[in-house]
Amino acid sequence: MSATTAARPRRPVPPQIRRRRLLLSVANHSVAIALSIAFLLPFVFILATSLMTNQQALSPNIWPRPFVWSNYKTVFQSFPFVRYTLNTVTYAGLATVGVVLSCVPVAYALSRLQWRGRQAAFMLVLSTLMLPPQVTVVPLYLVFVRLHWIGSLKPLIIPLFFGDAFTIFLLRQFFLTIPQELSDAARVDGASELQILLRVIVPLAKPALAAVALFQFLYSWNDFFSPLLYAGNNPDSWTLAVALQQFTTLSRGVLWNLQMAASLLFMAPVIVIFFFAQKVFVEGVTLTGVKG
Amino acid sequence: MATVAERQDAASERARGAERRRRRRRSARRRQLVALAFMSPWIIGFSVFYVYPMASSLYFSFTKYDILSQPKWVGLSNYRFMFTSDPLFWVAIRNTLWVIAILVPLQVLFGIATATVLTRVRRGLPFYRTVFFLPTMVPLVAAALGFIYILNPAGPVNRILGLLQLPEPLWFVDPRWTKPGLVLIGMWGIGQTMIIFLASLLDVPRQLYEAADIEGARPWQQFRHVTLPMISPVIFFSVIIGMIQGFQYFTQAYVISKAGDQDHEVGFPQDSLLFYTSRLYQQGFEGFHMGYAAALSWVMFVVIMVCTVILIRSSRRWVHYQGGFR
Amino acid sequence: MRRRLIGLLALALLAAACTAGGGGSDQPAATIDPNANHAPLTLTVWSDFSSRELGVTTAGLKTVSQRYPWMTVRHIGSKDDQAIQRAINGGTPPDVAISFTPDNAARFCATGAWQDLTPYLTSSKIDKAKIWPAGVFSYTSFENKQCALPMLTDAYGLYYNTDLFAKHGISAPPKTTAELADMAKKLTEYNPDGSIKVAGFLPLIGLYGSTTVNTFGHAYGAKWYDESLKPTLGSDPNWAKMLTWQKAMVDAIGYDKLQKFAARMGGANSEFSAQNGFETGKIAMMLDGEWRNAFIEGDKSKVSYGTAPFPVDADQPGLYGTGQVGGTIAGIPKGVKHPAESWLLLQFMTTDNTYLTNLAHGLKNVPSTVEALKDQQLQADPHFKPFLDVFANEQSTFKPITPIGITDFDLFQSFAQKWQAGKVPDLQAGLNQLDQQISKQLQLG
Repeated sequence: MSATTAARPRRPVPPQIRRRRLLLSVANHSVAIALSIAFLLPFVFILATSLMTNQQALSPNIWPRPFVWSNYKTVFQSFPFVRYTLNTVTYAGLATVGVVLSCVPVAYALSRLQWRGRQAAFMLVLSTLMLPPQVTVVPLYLVFVRLHWIGSLKPLIIPLFFGDAFTIFLLRQFFLTIPQELSDAARVDGASELQILLRVIVPLAKPALAAVALFQFLYSWNDFFSPLLYAGNNPDSWTLAVALQQFTTLSRGVLWNLQMAASLLFMAPVIVIFFFAQKVFVEGVTLTGVKG
Repeated sequence: MATVAERQDAASERARGAERRRRRRRSARRRQLVALAFMSPWIIGFSVFYVYPMASSLYFSFTKYDILSQPKWVGLSNYRFMFTSDPLFWVAIRNTLWVIAILVPLQVLFGIATATVLTRVRRGLPFYRTVFFLPTMVPLVAAALGFIYILNPAGPVNRILGLLQLPEPLWFVDPRWTKPGLVLIGMWGIGQTMIIFLASLLDVPRQLYEAADIEGARPWQQFRHVTLPMISPVIFFSVIIGMIQGFQYFTQAYVISKAGDQDHEVGFPQDSLLFYTSRLYQQGFEGFHMGYAAALSWVMFVVIMVCTVILIRSSRRWVHYQGGFR
Repeated sequence: MRRRLIGLLALALLAAACTAGGGGSDQPAATIDPNANHAPLTLTVWSDFSSRELGVTTAGLKTVSQRYPWMTVRHIGSKDDQAIQRAINGGTPPDVAISFTPDNAARFCATGAWQDLTPYLTSSKIDKAKIWPAGVFSYTSFENKQCALPMLTDAYGLYYNTDLFAKHGISAPPKTTAELADMAKKLTEYNPDGSIKVAGFLPLIGLYGSTTVNTFGHAYGAKWYDESLKPTLGSDPNWAKMLTWQKAMVDAIGYDKLQKFAARMGGANSEFSAQNGFETGKIAMMLDGEWRNAFIEGDKSKVSYGTAPFPVDADQPGLYGTGQVGGTIAGIPKGVKHPAESWLLLQFMTTDNTYLTNLAHGLKNVPSTVEALKDQQLQADPHFKPFLDVFANEQSTFKPITPIGITDFDLFQSFAQKWQAGKVPDLQAGLNQLDQQISKQLQLG
């Protein structure tokens, strides 16, 4: 995806038009630069505050003086950061595995198999896309209470082994773009549907699988409502999102510098993943929006 | 007159036809079973995590239930209370409508605007794209906490405003300014929407613009009559996604309300941050009025379904698909 | 189509079946011989204590092992009422629960979330009236169910900065609310840019947890409910009087200015930190609980201060010396694994005078038993004595507790915050509406 325009035949351009084009270009770039500053400024503020002492945090000084790098160490010491990270990684990791394992066959059935009720089933899948978790949460909470799963991460992870509407939708759209001939050829060779799925479709769908895996991992990493609800009363099971929000109470005082440091530590892994997987991201996002 | 051999041929021909039909029926049934097998994870998930809770919460919505004792049947009194005696219910609806009707369109517009800026930029596009997209990577909790600090009445933004001799609003402490604060957070996270619009804008065929140029159309007219219809499917998609997320709006509101003091009600200050999901959470999981919360969730379900149908129906009028119906 | 209907019906029945068995059977008041040998057991206690107070309480709870060598106590702090309720609902309650919000006691009793302690008290032959002063029962029992017992208690009064008083030529603390308003204005100092440098008094409701409609209401003798538990926020004129006085104080300085000042001070979160406005000399007078003495010591604040009863309505001088009382309560949640042992621990926490006296010294809380109240060390402390007197005053009360817990309080607080921001054009109409809202909530239950 590039922004370069198609090559046009070069005619001599009169100076007024060249000047206007230059001005427009400068104007566009200035807007872009201004926007960039606006988007980056919050990061700068957060980073700067994370390196201040607490007295300085809300004072007129905008720049930390001195740089208190030890804030990060304090964050690690004040609360069990490692455990929370482990919880978050467990949740996000298992959720991703579960979603991919369960949604691939479903998307396959909805896109490459002919059967009665296929259209209706797809409509039902789409309908669940609209529903916020809050609509079903009351009885589910009660069920999980009976199962004694409240206070653990099980209510978050297990349902994802039974499909997720958004992932199914994405994968289905992608599977539809794979030519029918490939499946037909394999069928003629006597392959079962499962074999076609595993040997023909899945290898071709790697970019889509990467995208949905990444999306799910990120979604789970950022998830707040469900971990708050199901694991909120057991600090041993907190994910980073919940822990960060609860951080204000634990210190019973305003420690903005530590709060910002903790926020940065929470953001950091995701941003790192982003920089390494940018292409997958952008392609994946485009996949959802433009093809869908 | 048919010979014995011919009659035998016809009979076996019919038998073979029947056999073929039976085999086709059997393979059709087998296909059906295979498809259902592949669908089974979702079928189980749908029944257990959607159908059952909807049915169950319908039942609970007619009861008074606090988990520790048996549910008590109270008929319609939860619904009656909700519509006639609960002022916070209407506050929650109004606030959630604000998200759907104001925040989402603002975000879509800002997404289109930033994407348009990026289409005009010749050099450094990957850089700008990365910078604009980066904030979407930030977890909502961290973003909310960051903005609470940045928009603190004594924080950096107000200090800058003070230096510029501009008024310094109290942001998240002042109920009039909490929603603008949320708009700022929403704009900051526009990257994902922007990427989709960028791809879509770049997909618009140049011939259309050139044709408009020839007819003497000015840039604004071109935008209205060429660009907008061409990207209308993406607008539709963004609005739908925006609506879905709008109904679920919770994290920012919860974090901001409780950041000042964990004892604050969800919705502090003065219920300006009380959204429908927050109200539901408050009733069900802070107050443990499970029956009332179930009633709230059913009303939410109905409202969402109605809004979706309205949106989809209206889309037929203004969404233009290239190459006919999708 | 038929198959789908049958499926849904089955699911609905399943739903109904799953909800059965929601209530457990009431456990009998099992007690064990406190002097017998016992296998070692660790009991968990949850409370909302944190930092210094958590340490003090934990140390105090450890002393139970001297009485019962087999008992170890694990004390977990920062657990508010909701966390405790969630644990009870989830079937994993702590063995003993401590709450800072006696408003919820009626809810605990009515729903059975905290067990009725009457059977335990009877089998341990405890005479309630002899052990505890009469005032505590109003916020620990409801409709004949005694589901909580006080573990130390609180009283509210006025703290004033003697240095700032001397600086502005004020010799004695205010006795009436009108005097307080006057002095607050005199004591407020400003920065060159017009913002507040030192606040005479911070009248904002909803900021610090000690400044509430309730604590202010006591200054005017305002009543929440009448005998039939009907809300009287609109019909009792003292509420409107109090709110008018409060808003006048806010307007005298300026709502926006006060909010900015509060934010710069650290907002509501600074209440229990070393940045507390009064402790850092940024607020000259404050309405607070008796525990503030301990915080001032613990945070090593340099403020030189005095304490006195909170000023009252000039038209009701007889109220002077009263205030809000009532505080920490403890109980046994429903579904604990070792009820008899939980009772032994609870009994220790609420009746052992050595434990309570030491804890009162450490937390600077008002002792809750008749014996512990006689403690000389607290009586002799000039900063602490006014609070003991407020507690001893028979007119001091908490607030009537109802099964809707703090909902009535929350609704009134919300209203008051709108009021002080100038968003309520008709105070009386607003209060009447509030009464109706609370009535409806009581009906909904």
